[in-house]
Amino acid sequence: MNKMKNLVIAFLSILTLASCNSNDEKTEKSAVDSAATVNTTFDHVLGMWVGDFIAEEYQEGSYSENKLSLVIKSIDKDKVIGRSVVVGNDRPLQGTLTNSGNKITFVLDEPGDQKYDGRFEFELNNDTLVGTWKSYNQEINVTKRSFKLLKKVFAYNPNLMLDKNGDYTDRQSSKVKTVTDTIDGKAETFEDEYYRSASKAVFTINSSTQELKESDLKNLRKLDLQILRNTIFARHGYSFKKKTYRQFFDRADWYIPVSNDVNGTLTALEKKNIKLLERFEKYAEDNYDSFGR
Amino acid sequence: MHKEPTTNEQMLLNIRINYFRLAWLLLFFFFFLLMLQITLRYLPISDDVAFLQIKQTEVEGIKLYLPIFYIHVYSAIFVLLAGFTQFNKTLLNKRPKLHRKLGYLYVLVVLLFAAPSGLFIGFFANGGLIAKAAFSILAVLWFWFTLKAVLLAKKQQFKAHYHFMLRSFALTCSAITLRLWKVILVYLFHPAPMDVYQIIAWLGWIPNLLLVEWMIRKKYLNLK
Repeated sequence: MNKMKNLVIAFLSILTLASCNSNDEKTEKSAVDSAATVNTTFDHVLGMWVGDFIAEEYQEGSYSENKLSLVIKSIDKDKVIGRSVVVGNDRPLQGTLTNSGNKITFVLDEPGDQKYDGRFEFELNNDTLVGTWKSYNQEINVTKRSFKLLKKVFAYNPNLMLDKNGDYTDRQSSKVKTVTDTIDGKAETFEDEYYRSASKAVFTINSSTQELKESDLKNLRKLDLQILRNTIFARHGYSFKKKTYRQFFDRADWYIPVSNDVNGTLTALEKKNIKLLERFEKYAEDNYDSFGR
Repeated sequence: MHKEPTTNEQMLLNIRINYFRLAWLLLFFFFFLLMLQITLRYLPISDDVAFLQIKQTEVEGIKLYLPIFYIHVYSAIFVLLAGFTQFNKTLLNKRPKLHRKLGYLYVLVVLLFAAPSGLFIGFFANGGLIAKAAFSILAVLWFWFTLKAVLLAKKQQFKAHYHFMLRSFALTCSAITLRLWKVILVYLFHPAPMDVYQIIAWLGWIPNLLLVEWMIRKKYLNLK
């Protein structure tokens, strides 16, 4: 009987230990994101939240959807400090939280000294931050955006690759060609739009782990080279300003924009590969479709 | 032999032919300028300019690559000049000595510099074995046609000399046609750079050669 009791107690204590462990892990993760943990009650909110930043109110033709990272750095009573990273804009955030029973709501402001600054309002909904952003400036293209953010931990991993099932067509820039065709004996002129597509190389060559040789790159078009080079920056959490690159990396689950300057974190191999890729990009730009080589 | 036009019709025909020749000359002049522009990119000498940007493996790995590459770039532009002088009827018939001097210059530059350097850089061509084979065969044929042409001139066999010089110069013009084909193929099909390179390595000179062979057979080109 006693033995049985002991066993039950042992089992229960293991269970408690296990649950404690998982709690510890969570706090540890948060601690990584922010050293300045103040109020333990909101520990689970501290850290990086990532998701799509979707245009809700915008000028005609300027709809856009970008990846947003929202960092809650510290919470001191009702004072919240954080930052937002989107489209190469890394902005400080300051504001307050309201804890009304089982609902935590936030109002965080960007400083307002830049054109695209605005106010974030959101609440914690289970494991998701749900809310909107409104620009201070009503003259810009997108004045209101919505978002649903999940908590993520950023960690540089050189082995991350673009998904081989992805669509790597550059929808952001097209070439218009005028084509003349004869239909029913009448010559008609059409304007066709051409989009450039990347090759398999963008998900088979890893520009962060393998030392690239000229022979690896010779048969690649400019878009392949651009994507290969920028995948390095994406792995380091670079927040892309150019739509050309956002369209490819925003879709990658692993991609988290954390900074608008990652040069200090590049490895020696990556720096070497970037130099080589840049040289090939320039050559492709100058020579691919022109007389000469 | 100088023929006098016997009728008005024949005079008109001659004028028409002259216009045709003038158009060809202007076209050739246009492409010569483009080639000159490409050559000038290699001044001053640099080890990582233009085409060399994607040739650093050879530049760094093979000591002779860079000097021989530059021999090819700088000599090839001069042999194109022969297109203005050596097939000119007036110069050929009225200034045979000048024709001979300029001809020797063409032959020396091709045989000593442009063709051997072409063969060497052909061995290291982009586009793998397919392209390497094309450029190597091109260089060997170029050398052979040019040598044969000058030897025939020495033996006073001027008709055969003329035919071999046509073949030689058809290959000289591959510098132009190869780049022209590239522009056309890229515009039409957007192929990957080395795929197009393998194609133009052959397309740059074989149609040229076929064209002059056809013209020789049809006796289209008569300089007298």
